[in-house]
Amino acid sequence: MLTQNRYGAEIRRILQDPILTISLIFVILFVFVAIILPILAMIGASLSEEGRELFGHYLSTNAYQSIIFNTLVMGVTVAAAGTAIGFLFAYVQVKVNVPFKRFMHLIALVPIISPPFAVATAIILLFGRNGLISKGIFGVRYDIYGLVGLTLALSLSLFTIAYLNFKGMLQALDPSLEEAATNLGASKWRTFRTVIVPMLLPGFAASFLLLFVEAIADLGNPLVLGGNYEVLATRVYISVIGLHDSTAAAVFSVILLVPSLTVFIIQRYWVGRSSVVSVTGKPTGTAQQINHPVVRWSLFGVVMLICALIIAIYAVIFIGSITKVFGVNYELTLDHFNFVINGYGSEAMTDTTTFAIIATPLAGILGMLIAFLVVRKAFIGRGAVDFGTMLGIAVPGTILGIGYLLVFNNPITIALPFVGDNVPAITLIPKLTGGRAVFGGALAIVIVYIVRSTPAALRSGVALLSQIDPAIEEASISLGADNALTFRKITLPLIRPAFLAGLIYAFARSMTTISAIVFLTTPQTRIMTQQILNETEQGRYGNAFAYCVILIGIVLVAIGILYMTVGSSTGAERSLEGGT
Amino acid sequence: MAVSHNGAADSLLLNKISKIFPARGGGGEVTAVNSVSLTIQQGEFLTLLGPSGCGKTTTLRLVAGFELPSAGQILLDGKDITNQPPNKRDMAMVFQSYALFPHMTVFDNIAYGLHIRKLSRSEIKTKVESTLDLMGLRNLGERRPNELSGGQQQRVALARSLVMEPRVLLFDEPLSNLDAKLRVQMRSEIHALQRRLSITSVYVTHDQIEAMALSDRIVVMNQGQIEQMGTPDEIYRRPVSRFVADFIGRANFQETRAEAMMNGEATVTLLGQKMTISVAGSPKAGDTLVAVLRPEALKLRADSSLQPALVEQAMYLGSEVEYRVRINNDTLVVVENDPRASHIFAEGETVGIDLIPEAIHLLPK
Ligand SMILES: Nc1ncnc2c1ncn2[C@@H]1O[C@H](COP(=O)(O)OP(=O)(O)OP(=O)(O)O)[C@@H](O)[C@H]1O
Ligand SMILES: [Mg+2]
Repeated sequence: MLTQNRYGAEIRRILQDPILTISLIFVILFVFVAIILPILAMIGASLSEEGRELFGHYLSTNAYQSIIFNTLVMGVTVAAAGTAIGFLFAYVQVKVNVPFKRFMHLIALVPIISPPFAVATAIILLFGRNGLISKGIFGVRYDIYGLVGLTLALSLSLFTIAYLNFKGMLQALDPSLEEAATNLGASKWRTFRTVIVPMLLPGFAASFLLLFVEAIADLGNPLVLGGNYEVLATRVYISVIGLHDSTAAAVFSVILLVPSLTVFIIQRYWVGRSSVVSVTGKPTGTAQQINHPVVRWSLFGVVMLICALIIAIYAVIFIGSITKVFGVNYELTLDHFNFVINGYGSEAMTDTTTFAIIATPLAGILGMLIAFLVVRKAFIGRGAVDFGTMLGIAVPGTILGIGYLLVFNNPITIALPFVGDNVPAITLIPKLTGGRAVFGGALAIVIVYIVRSTPAALRSGVALLSQIDPAIEEASISLGADNALTFRKITLPLIRPAFLAGLIYAFARSMTTISAIVFLTTPQTRIMTQQILNETEQGRYGNAFAYCVILIGIVLVAIGILYMTVGSSTGAERSLEGGT
Repeated sequence: MAVSHNGAADSLLLNKISKIFPARGGGGEVTAVNSVSLTIQQGEFLTLLGPSGCGKTTTLRLVAGFELPSAGQILLDGKDITNQPPNKRDMAMVFQSYALFPHMTVFDNIAYGLHIRKLSRSEIKTKVESTLDLMGLRNLGERRPNELSGGQQQRVALARSLVMEPRVLLFDEPLSNLDAKLRVQMRSEIHALQRRLSITSVYVTHDQIEAMALSDRIVVMNQGQIEQMGTPDEIYRRPVSRFVADFIGRANFQETRAEAMMNGEATVTLLGQKMTISVAGSPKAGDTLVAVLRPEALKLRADSSLQPALVEQAMYLGSEVEYRVRINNDTLVVVENDPRASHIFAEGETVGIDLIPEAIHLLPK
């Protein structure tokens, strides 16, 4: 009776609306089939008898223990370095009086579109044994492979997350707080230590944990830059691709899943809750900026140095794509582009783009729909739907990939009981992966793109939707519109900025993802990131770089198109801020 | 109060409606509305009045269909609409926050519901324009909500509901975001409009003056239940409980004893004067009663034969003088309505206090 009172009425209300019911069922099915089921299958495979033996073996053998240790150490160093760089950029951007802020901001955004392997390869060419900088300028044969190189590549690829996080927080800090501290006679440094840092502590924790999860899940960088420094993600990859041992792969995956999930849950339920930066909405006064010459110029110098490094990396990629052999023969050539655009790579290019174009709007709309359901509709399990959707990104991509292989490599059928053997079983889900799957495995790849992109759309949708007065939607319903029409005419236009952000992220993510699809590509369906990996492994850096340049170009064009179509302002955002 | 079941003119009927929410952030339950029954006549303006958290908004949202009742029924024109979704109910709601669609112009906001009804373009144009005229918004059709003043936004919100010509119009504290002057002006506009269009209206407020000014009938709510239901005059002059008397207008309370009872009238002694006045409920002789003395039921006079009172405070407010006077251990509020016509007493003076028996009301304790 008690629970019936709580949810009974709400459920009846949802069931009255067929479109709402269908959306809800669809979302629950999506989360279960496309996310939870593969993860469970992967865990299941690791718990077979053979798997349990492997667990014992891996956890007690020195060599494997050090792989686990390596993974965690790399996670911590990348998280620390990335958070520090992100904070530095944000702090200088918001609080320090320096020139070229716009430029710094743009450079900080560049890594959003970093094709896998590109940064790692460029770092080798700059700082490796024959590196342009290490050998060319300093004359040392430096071995960049291993933890140092990985930390450099990963923190430069990932710090943008931390940067955007801190920038938002610093801008939202009420300047009157700082003014109050200064009024009480605190010096700038003291204000920084006693007011700003404590207020941002949840932000530091959140960035650190997010970067940790991203870092230990990364596959591309350790494959190229790892050297003898083996981590779990590469072990999973080698188990599948090199050794064809799916049980071992599942066992390594579960070992990798433990820290990922732990950190994800800590970040969601502990840090996520306690992050109460005093966002007052209408800050009074203007933020004071740091003018102290030594502080100012030394911070400026460090940020500019990092900017230069990022530019150098992307310059290597670009120059590498139009010269014969980077570092050896700088003769200009269009061979690499020719290979990608007209040759072997053209199919990968068009296929990947097509898949991303299909996945992007679906991920965007799905993200907004789930955000709408989670924020606005009280149904049992809405916490689970939110959590399940977020697992799509919290779980390392390799794990999702193996799960897909395990679940969708054969059609999922149901045999009807009590009918003869000659009646064929009913296919619930056809074979999705592998060469002879529906659309040659393309469907699985598109689904993985959606699964990996929806979480970001969901988060930005939830953030924006919870700022919108629910009475606006109720007004629409009160005027006779049903839920579906209200969503289309009122909710979606109002959360359009979140929708746009979700779409951009989905496209960029889909185009650059590797770990989740590396096991799903087939000879029929080639994916650009997979091809980049192949070319890199073969040492044909020129081709790899040409792929990267084209990939970056496609993403930039797509962002431009999305801004023009979805982003055209009708003033909805402004009037929301105006507080009608 | 009983529900009338003859109901030809009954428009809206609530039959023992309850709403139980799970308590926010934790276990347990909150009974927001507790077995509320009432009927609203065709064309009537009914106000739900009560302190914060008493369940007014929840009752209104149950009528609108945004919440489903935990128990009870709602009937509109004799038809059970308890489980009907809100968009199928022939009602329109005016929200406290106005809830205008920020991405649409004023015209599109008002036309929104008509589009959903699939009216033709020309019909929509005519209706919206006449509503814009009616609400004094003639030249604002192309503006967006954020380009309007608070009062104009409020008018658009009202226009958007009115244009639908709903069977029932619902208001949730529509004036509470306006400044005092504008509130008074909008109050009289709503009053005039509702009387002219005679749309059945349910209005929620915690402002008793607003309730008195607008309503045909007021329902005073307390802790999810109906405390009293009646015309503004009944509620003010014949409150059934101390809660209602205190909530509506200013009141002094004096405990007294029923010296004798006869025909529903009690003989009591108040401020040294013996009088016989009607009493709510059916107390017996000897019972303790509470007398509700409205400030305007008391008069101060320089007459030493009356009960003496010490003027502790005298506040001149222009149209009236408000006194606080001390009698023994009680402090009473007395309001003199026409300061020019009478002498204004000074603080520290001792005066005589008189009362008007017709303006006094007795409650059982
Ligand atoms: N969705 C909800 N979940 C839990 N409790 C609720 C919910 N809505 C209302 N309540 C509770 O029900 C009670 C009545 O709330 P309601 O909003 O109806 O009061 P109100 O009379 O409109 O008050 P106010 O004058 O402050 O608007 C309150 O105790 C409130 O906390
Ligand atoms: Mg309310």
